[in-house]
Amino acid sequence: MKLIKPSSKRKLKMLPYYFLLPPIIFLAVIVVYPLIFSLKLALFDWNLINLREREFVGLGNFLRLITDGSFWNSVRVTFTYAALATSIEFFLGLLLALIASQELKGIRFLRTLLLVPMMVAPLVVGLMWRYLLNANYGVINYFIKHFLRIIPPEWLSHPSWALPTLIFVDVWQWTPFMFIILLAGIQSLPKYPSEAAQIDGAKGYQILWHITLPLLRPVILVALLLRLIDSFRVYDLVYSMTRGGPINKTETLSWYIYQVGFKFFDFGYAAALSWVMLGITMVMCSQLFRVISRGTKEQ
Amino acid sequence: MKRTKHYVKLPSYVVLIVAILFFIFPIYWAVATSFKEAKLAFSESPVWLFKTRFENYKVVIFERNLPRFLINSVIVTLLSTLLTLALGVCVGYSIAIRKIKGGNQIASWILSLRMVPPIVTAVPIYLIARRLNLLDTHLVLILVYAFMNLPVASWLIKSYFEDIPLELEEAAIVDGCTYSQALVKIILPLASPGIAATGVICAIFAWNEFLYANILTGNVANTAPVALTAYATPVGILWGEIFAAGSLIMLPVIVAGLALQRYLVRGLTLGALKE
Repeated sequence: MKLIKPSSKRKLKMLPYYFLLPPIIFLAVIVVYPLIFSLKLALFDWNLINLREREFVGLGNFLRLITDGSFWNSVRVTFTYAALATSIEFFLGLLLALIASQELKGIRFLRTLLLVPMMVAPLVVGLMWRYLLNANYGVINYFIKHFLRIIPPEWLSHPSWALPTLIFVDVWQWTPFMFIILLAGIQSLPKYPSEAAQIDGAKGYQILWHITLPLLRPVILVALLLRLIDSFRVYDLVYSMTRGGPINKTETLSWYIYQVGFKFFDFGYAAALSWVMLGITMVMCSQLFRVISRGTKEQ
Repeated sequence: MKRTKHYVKLPSYVVLIVAILFFIFPIYWAVATSFKEAKLAFSESPVWLFKTRFENYKVVIFERNLPRFLINSVIVTLLSTLLTLALGVCVGYSIAIRKIKGGNQIASWILSLRMVPPIVTAVPIYLIARRLNLLDTHLVLILVYAFMNLPVASWLIKSYFEDIPLELEEAAIVDGCTYSQALVKIILPLASPGIAATGVICAIFAWNEFLYANILTGNVANTAPVALTAYATPVGILWGEIFAAGSLIMLPVIVAGLALQRYLVRGLTLGALKE
């Protein structure tokens, strides 16, 4: 290092900061400024009726959402969706990953095939399943009618079936994601703890419960966190499959904010809702983060 | 020993094959429908054997202007990915190579932006873009997608940079390179496979994105997924055409994704597992 000229040493000191400027300025302009603008917006009543003038209402928009039944409905729908989709994806993904981590012939090829669903645009996935689940000409309903001999419900327009159907489609698209992350995690685990346990006479499920899963904990939490964040913001599937219906049964937070902002042009209220959603997301993630960092330190 | 192993393996294969049928069949069915005669899409009992027809593709390509929207998607995807990579390299360089003070905090802050739900920024960005007359332009989507992908991209590029032995850079400096030259001549070439993989991941996300595109574009800069929503007309849903267009949208991504699946996993997990 002593061969470096003093002038270039000084330059070196500043150089990384010059490099950081463009990304920081970019993020300030594209994220930080809009978020601050949105917070300001949340304090005003600004909608289609008085587009010209914004009326300052202080925390009025936030008070309004406390008594807004549609808002609470969308919170409930979003949590139900995110919690069920993420946990079903986790259990199915883990099951498949445990099976696929054995030494099986052709496993690489099979594993590659399993990756396909998550690469299809969610909007296309939604349209695809709407076709497959159609009551008159959907192939899934045909199978159900002819092999199970029961009459399937109208999946997307039945009030109690619409949300489970949406969750099912999320599970179809993202179980492969859980699978591939958990599989990568299992394969990177050291072999000797489970081998030692096997020699000591531990049974398969005991090894799984006492050795594999604890070692896999950080990976499991990252996978859960990523799926939770993404299922919590679901919009594309709602747009292409149910548009929030029937009777608000699939109205997620993202969809509700979209309606308030871009159908009713109630921008002030949409901004307030956005900040609440951001708050919920941040609290949820920081809690999970804490669990993750604790888990990683234990290792 | 061998026999018990066979007992374990047979059910494993059965489960895996059933799972694969479940995950692949819908895509097969959608693509197959795109090659069927239009009225067969509405047949009450599924049609397994059919004469391959390209009518749906002809309609979406020549009558519905799909190529125009695909070109929009290509422009937005390509330019936003390049912007993301340029900014990501800046982040990675100062944090992973130069190891500046507080670098890890900055990296964590950038990564935490991955958590911001798109609809939250969509409302203010829409209003700001409207005031700046940027609605329905490629530029606004390019900027927004660069933001959307930057957290994952910086994190990945950072992790690829951390794998580079810095002695090589030092040697180049000793030989008279400036630090910027060393970045271009030594570090970037060494990290190029990783940067390319990061680019593919960003491109897939940008190509598939729908929410921002739906809100921020109208009829000029519409990307292909937005154009697709016009096929569900009040008269009826044009399934054959939807799946012809849908196939053209999903097939390039599937091909690219399968080719780079190893990197895809690392990207999706934010490099948390260095596979």
